[in-house]
Amino acid sequence: MKNRLKVLRAERDWSQQDLAERLEVSRQSVNAIETGKYDPSLPLAFRIADLFEMRIEEIFQKD
Amino acid sequence: MNPAQRRYIGRMIPVSIAYVAAIFAASAIIPKGATATPLTVGIALVPGLAILGFIWAIGRYFTELKDEYVRMLEVRKALVATGLTLALTATWGILELYTDVPRIPLFWVFPVWCLGLGVGALFNRLTLGDSGACP
Repeated sequence: MKNRLKVLRAERDWSQQDLAERLEVSRQSVNAIETGKYDPSLPLAFRIADLFEMRIEEIFQKD
Repeated sequence: MNPAQRRYIGRMIPVSIAYVAAIFAASAIIPKGATATPLTVGIALVPGLAILGFIWAIGRYFTELKDEYVRMLEVRKALVATGLTLALTATWGILELYTDVPRIPLFWVFPVWCLGLGVGALFNRLTLGDSGACP
C-alpha cells in the first residue's frame, strides 16, 4: 500500500517522533508505515485518519 | 523503553536469577546419574518452573505490547526461534534414531529457542531494518 503520511507530516512540520507521540506508537512504527514496510491495522489507520482529519483512503492508496 | 518492555525486564530478571540458582542447586544436590525418585524429580522440576516463568513473561509481554509494529517484530522473532528449534531438534532426533551421533539432552531445547530469538532479531533487521525491542 502507498501512503501520504510523510507529506502530511511535513506539511505540519512534525518529526516522526512528533507523529509517533500523537498516535501513541513508537517512532519505529511511524518510519515503517511511511516507508511502506508495514501496513497499519484498521484501528491504527483510523487513528491516523482522525489525527489528520481526513478519510483513510485519502491517506492510504492501493499500489 | 515502553511500559510493557519495562515490565517484561522486571519479570525476566527474578526468573533468570531463580533459574540459575535452581540449576546450580539441582547440580549440587543431585548426584550425576541419580535414580528418578520423588525427591530427585521434585528438585529437578524447580528449574522447570523457572522455564514456565520465562514462557509466562514472554506471553505477557506479547499481550501487553500496545505498539502493533513492535509486537509484530517480537512475534516474528518468536516464530523464527520456534521454526529453527523445531528444525534443529527434529532433524537431530532423526539422526539419533538411525545413527550413533551423540545424544543431546532435551535440556538444550529451551536455550536453543532463546538463541533463535537472536536469529529472529537478525532476520527482522535484514528484512525490515528493525530488529525488535527485547532480547
